[in-house]
Amino acid sequence: MPSKKTLHIESSGQLCIYCGACVGVCPLNCIYLDETRITFDEKVCTRCEICVRACPVGAIEIG
Amino acid sequence: MQDLTTDVLVVGAGPAGAMTAKWAAKRGARVLMIEKRQEIGSPVRCGEGMSKEWLTEVGITPGRWINVEVEGARIYSPSEKVFEINEKHAGNEVGYVVERDGFDKQLAIDAGNAGADVMLKTAAVGILKEGGQVVGVKAKQFGELFNIRAPVTIGADGFESQIGRWAGLPTNLMLRDMDSCLQYRMTNVDSDTRYCDFYLGKIAPGGYVWIFPKADGLANVGIGVQLSQLKNPADVKTYLDRWIDRHPGYAKGKKIDMVGGGVSIAPPLKQTVTDGFMIVGDAARMIDPLTGGGIANGCIAGKICGEVAAEAVEAGTPSKEFFQRYEKGWRARLEEKLYRNWLAKEKLCTLPDEVFDKIVDALQDVRLQKLTVQNILRAVQSKYPEVTKEFDQFL
Repeated sequence: MPSKKTLHIESSGQLCIYCGACVGVCPLNCIYLDETRITFDEKVCTRCEICVRACPVGAIEIG
Repeated sequence: MQDLTTDVLVVGAGPAGAMTAKWAAKRGARVLMIEKRQEIGSPVRCGEGMSKEWLTEVGITPGRWINVEVEGARIYSPSEKVFEINEKHAGNEVGYVVERDGFDKQLAIDAGNAGADVMLKTAAVGILKEGGQVVGVKAKQFGELFNIRAPVTIGADGFESQIGRWAGLPTNLMLRDMDSCLQYRMTNVDSDTRYCDFYLGKIAPGGYVWIFPKADGLANVGIGVQLSQLKNPADVKTYLDRWIDRHPGYAKGKKIDMVGGGVSIAPPLKQTVTDGFMIVGDAARMIDPLTGGGIANGCIAGKICGEVAAEAVEAGTPSKEFFQRYEKGWRARLEEKLYRNWLAKEKLCTLPDEVFDKIVDALQDVRLQKLTVQNILRAVQSKYPEVTKEFDQFL
């Protein structure tokens, strides 16, 4: 099985504005916003990249 | 933290949640509303414009949260021809630019005064079910986990609703059914406090740029763009910044704050109740797919939801069947318009800039008595018959 791409959510506040757009769009419900911390479930995430598009400020990268 | 019990548990203290809590409490139920943030209404994730004709219906009294009362709206075509909608032909559809944080707090105060309990910094992190029936949530406050049990649980947790999915309702959206939004509150801008302004076309594919003017030279300037039309990271910000740069009256503005978020532009959910559970507001996709406005619909449905919740508690039957009163009630009040506006939006999303220009150009020439889709199309038909061919279904 090919290894998954790396998904990186910049949630230290340098880019992220904690708006929750990524949480709302995730089709697998695997991104979590807890005040000023965003995490995602590495095992569930399929790297569909929908959150990358939804993020209004470009805080999510995949590669 | 000990486990808690209540009659009606409302997850989320936005307008829809607070309305639900208030009306359930007024009808005599014990109500607990939980909010994951530490401050209700903040940060403001909203353009802050709303119509006003529905406020009396749900028992909201105009208060200090009103910043500006506008006379109308101006729609700008891609070449910036303007069509003005005013109170004369839009009726009470035009309305207020509000302090959204103050508005949300007022609704929470109303809920509290009606007897509802409120817990801040309390997130629902899971759902409790017994034999397929939702019986409450697993909650977390200040790092502590505990259960809140209730015969009726309400999901009012907004666009990023998790609880609806946990309850088993199909709330997933496709890319084309969502807009990603970004807004600035800006000062030192040339907005006109008589009008809310909307700019359409390729500058905001599948959405629009909005200007909601506020007192003292302040304005809420934002954009929504359809997710399926976004290509690069941070596209939404790029679109908004580009629009601002090209408008000198705003390019000279200073940004006071910045917030983003998502909006559904989908038809409403097919199912909003299950045993022990109802879903309301943005979480139930009650946002108007054409305007992106969710406050009025959330509040109207919230009142119905709260009343039905209290009735179910009193009757001792918090079942899917009993909750049909809510399902049918909110649909009777809102669904027709939601579908009509969804169809209109689907059409508008496909229009090239030239067609937007022609439509607005045709509207400038005529004096519409009443603003209806039919009247608009007839006006366009008389000047650009080729444009209306595509809209036969609406005529």
